Amino acid sequence: MGFLAARLRAKFNMWKRFLLIRGTELLIFSLLAALPLLVNSSYALGLLTLLAIYAILLIGLDVSVGYLGQVNLGHAAFLALGAYAAALGVALFDLNLLTALLVSLLVGLILGALLAIPALRLEGPQFALATLSFSALTVITLNELEAWTGGAQGLQINRPPLFNWSLDAVNFYWLCLIFLGLVWVLMRNLLASNWGRAFEALRDSPIASDAMGVGVYHYKIAAFAIGAALGGLAGGLYAFNFQYLQPQSFTYELMVILLLGVVLGGRKNLWGALLGATLIVLLPNLLSNRFTFQMIAAAGLLLTIIAAQQSRPHKQPFQTYAPVLAMALMMAGSLLAENIEDWRKAVFALLLFAVVLGLPDGLIGFITRFLSQLFRIAPPALVAASPLDEVLQSKLTHGEILLKVSNLKCYFGGIKAVDDISFDVHSGHIHGLIGPNGSGKSTAINVISGLYRPTAGALLLHGKALPHGSLYQVARTGIARTFQNLQLFGELSALENVMLALKDTYRCPLPLLLLGFAKREEKRAQADAQALLALVGLTDYARTTAKNIPYGAQRFLEIARALARKPDLLILDEPAAGLAQPDVQRLIAMIKHIHGRGITIILIEHHMDVVSELCDVVTVLDGGKIIAQGTPDEVKRDPQVIEAYLGSAHVDH
Amino acid sequence: MLTIENLHAGYGNSEVLHGVSLKVAAGTVVALIGANGAGKTTTMRAISGMIQPTQGRVLLNGIAVQGNTGAAIAQLGLAHSPEGRKVFGPLSVEDNLLLGAYSRLPALFGFRKHAAAELNRIYELFPRLHERKNQVAGTLSGGEQQMLSIGRALMAQPKVMLLDEPSMGLAPVLVQEVFKIIRQLKAAGITLLLVEQFARSALEVADYVYVMEHGKIVLEGLPSEMNKNERVLAAYLG
Amino acid sequence: MDIAIIAQLTLSGALMGLVYTLIAYGFQLTYATSKSINFGQGELVMLSAFFSLTLIDLGLPFVVVVIGGLLFGTLLGLIVERTSVRLALEQKNEGWILLTVIFGLFSFSVAENIYGRDDRPFPTPISSDAINLFNISITPLEISVAIGVLAIMGLIELFKRRTLLGKAFAAVSADRDAAELMGISATRIIMLSYGLSGMVAAMAGILVAPITTVGPTMAAALILKAFAVAVVAGLNSGMGIVLIGLFLGALESLASFYIGSGWREAPGLILLILALALRPHGIFGSAVARKV
Repeated sequence: MGFLAARLRAKFNMWKRFLLIRGTELLIFSLLAALPLLVNSSYALGLLTLLAIYAILLIGLDVSVGYLGQVNLGHAAFLALGAYAAALGVALFDLNLLTALLVSLLVGLILGALLAIPALRLEGPQFALATLSFSALTVITLNELEAWTGGAQGLQINRPPLFNWSLDAVNFYWLCLIFLGLVWVLMRNLLASNWGRAFEALRDSPIASDAMGVGVYHYKIAAFAIGAALGGLAGGLYAFNFQYLQPQSFTYELMVILLLGVVLGGRKNLWGALLGATLIVLLPNLLSNRFTFQMIAAAGLLLTIIAAQQSRPHKQPFQTYAPVLAMALMMAGSLLAENIEDWRKAVFALLLFAVVLGLPDGLIGFITRFLSQLFRIAPPALVAASPLDEVLQSKLTHGEILLKVSNLKCYFGGIKAVDDISFDVHSGHIHGLIGPNGSGKSTAINVISGLYRPTAGALLLHGKALPHGSLYQVARTGIARTFQNLQLFGELSALENVMLALKDTYRCPLPLLLLGFAKREEKRAQADAQALLALVGLTDYARTTAKNIPYGAQRFLEIARALARKPDLLILDEPAAGLAQPDVQRLIAMIKHIHGRGITIILIEHHMDVVSELCDVVTVLDGGKIIAQGTPDEVKRDPQVIEAYLGSAHVDH
Repeated sequence: MLTIENLHAGYGNSEVLHGVSLKVAAGTVVALIGANGAGKTTTMRAISGMIQPTQGRVLLNGIAVQGNTGAAIAQLGLAHSPEGRKVFGPLSVEDNLLLGAYSRLPALFGFRKHAAAELNRIYELFPRLHERKNQVAGTLSGGEQQMLSIGRALMAQPKVMLLDEPSMGLAPVLVQEVFKIIRQLKAAGITLLLVEQFARSALEVADYVYVMEHGKIVLEGLPSEMNKNERVLAAYLG
Repeated sequence: MDIAIIAQLTLSGALMGLVYTLIAYGFQLTYATSKSINFGQGELVMLSAFFSLTLIDLGLPFVVVVIGGLLFGTLLGLIVERTSVRLALEQKNEGWILLTVIFGLFSFSVAENIYGRDDRPFPTPISSDAINLFNISITPLEISVAIGVLAIMGLIELFKRRTLLGKAFAAVSADRDAAELMGISATRIIMLSYGLSGMVAAMAGILVAPITTVGPTMAAALILKAFAVAVVAGLNSGMGIVLIGLFLGALESLASFYIGSGWREAPGLILLILALALRPHGIFGSAVARKV
């Protein structure tokens, strides 16, 4: 009976969740579609159309600002390029409406990818500068290519008919809304797939992404290009909406307004983009009336004060009070200023400042927290774990040489971190790598795994040369590793950390994935990841974000994630560092189990008891050179090893 | 001189130190030994304010200093020669040494004159540094960088000096050199807390020894008692 | 193409380029200590110029105007650090990019409302009558820009190399933790570097104002090219910015003459994107190895 009730409750929860979320989507979109029929105002219709266009634009911007976590100051340029592409397509080549919009989208996609190739190798400030320059360069070019763009005079265009059907304002609004709906569904499918996880993972740890076979560079370019393509599409709609373009419309100020939209609405959230678009469309109108603006300022002040009250214990004083001060300043301004529209930029600045510091999840974060408490929506149930044998097939090993390291050297400036070492790792072995601090162990495995490029020497896996100096390429040869200083994807859940790394799981081609046909492999991935979590004993933490699980469990999660690569060779870099004694025992059992499945392991470890218990062969490094090699017992008796660890017994006096 | 009571500290949500207590009397050398990952360096970092302890007290000459920034604790008379030496690579040897005395010297002009006597003492102790005083510190060898790191800490005329893994990554000859210097410091009456992975060498210079394991002090005593202790050897060689 | 015209364009362009160098120097100052720069630095240039203009309107002697302007710029730099940079640095994130952009926008709005949107002349005691040297004309005003730029950069470099506080800058930039262990408060050094950076921005504003006139948008183009100089040379390149500044100034002066004045800003932006694509750490900068 109890079992049946539980199943019924689970089913009920699933339906409640489905209805609430999909129902809200349907409701909002129907409402948006019906509004022009209810309100007969061309002004309101103009705002609604702009809302739909801006929502597409902001969904695109959110990919780089929210998911990649980069400050992108170039999105207004893609809007401009898309707009001019559509306009010129119609003016010069007489394109029809849909083709022109397709051209806008492609212009965004291609130019986005071209900009991304150099720009995304850069870190924060340099990336912001590159996009800022691109933006300025676009405006200059549009201004100067007068023959085509009409320069500062502007460009007049006519909205072409849609298959001989000339669209009036309401029809065009519905067209924009349909595009928004399409973008919404496609992006939802994309972001719910491994792509979405990859986008977030890149930001948390690019190194681990590469090491898990998720090519940082490819995904970053793809993400940026997708965002830019949406910017281009929005630009095409923008051009056909206003039917008049001027380069001055796409300046820095617009860029800041767009950032305000994304941040205020809420990052990493489609709803946030829609809400942000609504706000930035309404904002200019709200500023024109002094009384409404005073009300808004008062509401902002109240909101920040409440937020400050709630967050005081776990935030810095500055972070708590600065938003309140900013809103108080805005309130004072609303009472004093003669014409509030003149102070538009200052208002944007103060709002943005308050939101960035005081409401980092944006309004949608605030609302979601509130709503999920109200409706008590349970998260969807997790699928049951796959049988471990399906995920991690047991392999037979024959003791042949799996990894051959010959005359490996790695110098940094004058420091010889690894100085001419050679050793073989036999398949089916647990090969220990030990030595005092600074002896070159970590450097050695960083070279093997591709993080560092060797100064000289050869690395052979299965007799074939390993790629040099690329974590990503090495990861794809069948080597997986963990990191001494944990490199988890902190914002992803434990389950997602493992899912992201799964090898040979995601086969659905992108177009089908966008259309929502990847649900089965997603379920499969979840089940496989569950099996690996169970292997390291973390089933209870499946839903917990990685940064919030205890330290010992984080170490185990790194192991589960590396296993998702289904490696031939697993490199464990000080897995016991910082573990309490009971956890060390669990770790030993875990490594034995993994080894039992035929996975060869290189183990870097300081705890001699762990090494003695697990390793078949131990290589001892000191000063970048190998000083001993053999079974743990042989090595422990070696006088050179004793000296390296304990220091010489007699120091000259 | 330096008293630590029930110190807890860690990184993020991992606690590395689970209640460490120890004492360093004025003019003595105290060694803190233990296997790698036991929490020795974390103890040092928590004392000198590079990380904030979550619980417990650090008393420097009777004053509680825990919770202050590293700069504030340094100004109260604690010098720390950190693990990995951490010399200022792009600066000259002499500038490195002068910066060691930063909190005692005038910030703008005349600092060289004020520091001259101390500087000469350091150069006497480390003639190699004198030879290379205008050389950029990043180009020194590992052993020379270690001397510079110690010299820089001494420039502050500290009440207590923390010396973290001075022998790390050095060739055996240089390790002996480093211990010779530690012995000289001891003879000069400097209060020293020494973290060292070479247990035997550390036991030879220390007046008192603490052994750490998994973030706790598991053993303490005179070096003569430690030398024969099974548990000490076990901590290293399993 | 006339050699004399080219020489003339090159010289006057290069002198203007020194202003980009000066602003880029301000970026280097803060980047060295904190790996952050003020994206609203252009507004600091502009606000300081306006403030100095106010002092001139009050009838104060020019020396007082300059000193007042520099102090004002320093103060603004300190405010930027406190409101927009410090928190993000403490939390080790890149929030300072957005926050300094916001600060710039706010400053812009304040300036356009207090001082109006029109460009105003900046009276200066230095003559703008051309002197002829080998068929190339040059004004004392242009010379004063060069002298002013080199003087303030020279003074700050002297401060950094000859005083202990200046050496502490280098220490914080080399190893923040180790600097703290020496009793050097990294927070205060970063604050100071922002103060100096603000002072440098103010100097740029005062030097350039007589030539460009003063208005809310006076620094909009200037700042893009200063970014370009800083990035092309490398944010940690030291004096490489002088060469790049001179080069870019000359290049854009030639481009605007031969291609069209609207393209004046283009070379800097193209150089910037190219530099980022080919040598992300700048021509004179050095790369940093990634660590685990």
